[in-house]
Amino acid sequence: MVCHPVPDTSTEYQIIQAMSQLKSPFPVIAVLTSLILAGCDATTNPNPSTTGGGKGSSGAANLEGSISIEGSSTVEPISLKAKEMFNDQYPAVNISVSGQGTGNGFTALARKECDISDASRSIKASELETCRAAGVQFIELPVAWDGLTVVVNKENNFVKQLTVEQLAKIFRKDMAVKTWKEVDPAWPAEKITIYAPGVASGTHDYFMEVVGKDVGMRAGEDGQITMSEDDKLLVTGVRQEKYAIGFFGYSYFEANRKELKAVPIVNPDGEAVTPGLESIESGKYAPFSRPLFIYINLESYQRAEIREFVDFYLNNISEIVTESRYVPLPAEIYQRGRDHLDKELTGTHFLDEKGDHRSGTLIETYTEDNLSKK
Amino acid sequence: MEIAGQTVQLRSSAASHRRQALVVAGLSACALVSLATTVGIIAMLAIEASGFFLSEEIEFWRFLTDRQWTLGQTRGELSYGILPLLSGTFRITAIAMLIALPMGLVCAVYLAEYAPRRVRAILKPALEILAGIPTVVLGFFAVKFITPHLLVPLGDFKAFNAMSAGIAVGILCLPLVTSLAEDALQAVPRALREGAYGLGSTRLETTIRVVLPAGLSGIIAAFLLAIARAVGETMVVALAAGSTPTLTLDPRGPSQTMTGYIVETFKSESVVPGTVGYFSIYAVAAVLFVLTFGITLIGQVIRRRFREEYQ
Amino acid sequence: MNHEDVGELLSRRRSEARRKRLSEVFAQVCLVVCSLVIVILITLLATVVVEGGGWLDWNFLTGVHHEEQPEASGIRQALFGSLVVSVICGLVALPVGIGTAIFLEEFRPRHRALRGFHGLVQLNITNLAGVPSIVYGILGLTAFVYMFSFLPRIEANKPPTAEFGAQYWYQAKTLGGEWVNFPAADRFQTIYRINRPVTATTVTGEQIKLNVLPRSASSPSDPEVRKRTVFEGASASIFRRNRWWHIHLPFSKSVLSAGLTLALVILPIIIIASQEAIRAVPGSLREAAFGMGATRWQVVRGTVLPSAIPGIMTGAILAMSRAVGEAAPVLAVMGGVLGTTTGLSGLMDKSPVLPVTIYRWALDENEGFEHLSAAAIIVLLVFLLVMNSAAIYIRNRYEKRQVRV
Repeated sequence: MVCHPVPDTSTEYQIIQAMSQLKSPFPVIAVLTSLILAGCDATTNPNPSTTGGGKGSSGAANLEGSISIEGSSTVEPISLKAKEMFNDQYPAVNISVSGQGTGNGFTALARKECDISDASRSIKASELETCRAAGVQFIELPVAWDGLTVVVNKENNFVKQLTVEQLAKIFRKDMAVKTWKEVDPAWPAEKITIYAPGVASGTHDYFMEVVGKDVGMRAGEDGQITMSEDDKLLVTGVRQEKYAIGFFGYSYFEANRKELKAVPIVNPDGEAVTPGLESIESGKYAPFSRPLFIYINLESYQRAEIREFVDFYLNNISEIVTESRYVPLPAEIYQRGRDHLDKELTGTHFLDEKGDHRSGTLIETYTEDNLSKK
Repeated sequence: MEIAGQTVQLRSSAASHRRQALVVAGLSACALVSLATTVGIIAMLAIEASGFFLSEEIEFWRFLTDRQWTLGQTRGELSYGILPLLSGTFRITAIAMLIALPMGLVCAVYLAEYAPRRVRAILKPALEILAGIPTVVLGFFAVKFITPHLLVPLGDFKAFNAMSAGIAVGILCLPLVTSLAEDALQAVPRALREGAYGLGSTRLETTIRVVLPAGLSGIIAAFLLAIARAVGETMVVALAAGSTPTLTLDPRGPSQTMTGYIVETFKSESVVPGTVGYFSIYAVAAVLFVLTFGITLIGQVIRRRFREEYQ
Repeated sequence: MNHEDVGELLSRRRSEARRKRLSEVFAQVCLVVCSLVIVILITLLATVVVEGGGWLDWNFLTGVHHEEQPEASGIRQALFGSLVVSVICGLVALPVGIGTAIFLEEFRPRHRALRGFHGLVQLNITNLAGVPSIVYGILGLTAFVYMFSFLPRIEANKPPTAEFGAQYWYQAKTLGGEWVNFPAADRFQTIYRINRPVTATTVTGEQIKLNVLPRSASSPSDPEVRKRTVFEGASASIFRRNRWWHIHLPFSKSVLSAGLTLALVILPIIIIASQEAIRAVPGSLREAAFGMGATRWQVVRGTVLPSAIPGIMTGAILAMSRAVGEAAPVLAVMGGVLGTTTGLSGLMDKSPVLPVTIYRWALDENEGFEHLSAAAIIVLLVFLLVMNSAAIYIRNRYEKRQVRV
């Protein structure tokens, strides 16, 4: 408890509270900081809700507890939005969100280190196996559409569109061209610098699934590619270098629209489509449109704060998804998700008995019948 | 009873002797903490790094000879040659030393042999302030000033490159080299200098022919300690050098050092105990530790021997 | 004097003049190089001030980190986190460091084997000072965060094996949708089925008797009754309220782990500085005290320490300022936290600290955060400047007092 930026409590009240409780590690410091900071905080902090203190601040019973969310950095903005809105209502629930990559999220889920794991791809057979071995059951919930966006520097005026084959030339390990000229003879003979999500990221996996499933992405030995689970570093890299190319979730592009250029991708119908809310929703932006998921640990779902949070999440899903610059799924999918929660249906829909990935659209795949049988 | 303003109470009795025994035990426990730290570091690195080398996926000779480091980069076939990381560390250390050693030595010579009191009064605090600046701040300086305003206008430098990090690490080591080398020069007895002046030498000649050779071992020790510092420097590299391990001598592109790899792994929090990625941190840290500990040890030994020469 | 001699003399004079000029030129070159130091320092400070000066305001000092909203973000949590971590670090490192220094300087053993121990500790300390701080970070991660994996990990839905300073409660939703809670008897039972009436606390802090309706009964309509009623078998789930001194084993990623790790980082610095301060105490003072029959510890406590304290303080402050600026070990031990929902409320919480915040913000793609990073640097530098000034002040006062003595 540093100080309580609750708008309607006076500074004096907070100080008295701080003194009477002596819950802070350093009472004197806490009181001093309250004195110095609290008064202004209540009026000037534009978003007091996210700091909401009051952890056990009185004997009163409001929803308490803690929720830990880990996983995809692509889904992170959605979780952060949900957290912010939820904390407006329940300030005493401590929610931690970290976006270290889908793979790391599933690892944390299997190790029981988080309650909810964010994912920008569905769970893999190997990850499912680890979860089973650890005795972790989960509920799979699709939450939004994303259009994986390929970006170049703002000053790049020669790349007008890219095909999947051209992307393969740039990113695949076995092709790994050095210059733009090798991608298209009309383009300059300048070295390509690449900023790509790292292997722990679901975006990396999804991209390579499309571009070259079994080959893998080129490695860094030639110094042309930089990989990171931190999408921000990728944005910075592409922004600063004229001949750079990179890719990440649509939201990160949308947030940096002014400084980056999204490349239209030629879809299977032969049409070059720019990623945008409409083209993603209509399915025209292919093959890089994909669903985003959250995976909820069943054991954690028994806890009141998690149940309340997930409930809140689904009740406000459109607002949460739109505000975090993604595209909401059809209402039908959310309804099915709600059913899954009510019946506590666990397992994944995307792997068949042999552990192979099911093909088909989300609406075809996300059905109760497709759940992996234990 | 009063000694130099301090009251000393005398209660030399059996009780106070028992008390002293207790105190000595407490103090030796304190001393044990630092010993335990070293033992802890060595044991931890040895155990966990052996976990890396003994795991089925890893062959030791490939760790030494592979020309690629792709842990945390690709799936499937792993390459885990330490050489690219070593080369990154070497590149940045070399650039840093090209800056810090000559500049530091010149500053030290100037401070020890030439500097008028007024210049000294400015230079000394400036060096102290520079020494006190946190390394993350120098990293920021490298990314926001050295790269965009100093290097990019000069040539084809990438947004994250070895040169920028090297320069910043050089700046970081400069005060260290200066102060240690100055100590070494100050320790050279006055008589040697006066003898040289008496024979008609100029200041420059005295410095080069007498003072520098006499203080050589101290200067070498200073250099070694600076190198160890540069090898172990982390935040500057993490900020300015990028996160791609490359085996090259080109300073214009990104490069990942051993410390950079460790920080990158921590930042992505993909350190799950028991995995190859987790053990790899310890393997890299073990190499880093052996390198820095070795260089520091040699530096300290030389320094001590040098001190004894003039005491 | 013949012509040749004159020529030789002249040429010697000329060469002497040249040698002197060379020496002068060298001095000038040196001066230029040295002034580069000042130039670098000014450029560095100017860069930081230009980038961040405009962003340094009250909002910045009192706000917390908001994703993608640099205008709304601030460093309150980071400042407090840095403060707490440094205090923990100082509380551990200072006594241990000073104790070691006293041991090394004042209690030199006569016994041979013990003398070997002494030498070993001494050599070890000078070497520890050269170990990169990231290696300490890894040590902290292994020794404090995971405790060598001797104890079970901290997992969700399971209380830690060893802990104190925590209270466990159940919370349940009444028919009216309000939350009530009541103490948990068994912390390992995560879900409690309410079958009997219990005394519970409501949102308003009121103590009530929670009614339990049989499953077959119809739901009451009176909102006041609904507020204090649940159906039989309603589930209440466990949660934990921590006191600030709540500690569990292993420490996991927490400010306590970070503080302890930083203590290890600065320990050698404190020891070396304290040793120098103790060594500077004139031997005559000690001898005088010994002469009066004091024991060694009495001499140390009564005579040596009071004279050495200012010097020790100076070293300690400088070491602490090193700890405040360290990013790498904290990053290893706590991860790159930028903010937490409820702020820092206990030893087992994670918290952002200033250097890590600077690092994360500097690499953020949103340019606003680069400026915030610079603004945070200004705050950090001011903080360090204040600490260093204090050190210099103490040193000066100490030197004056020495003169008087």
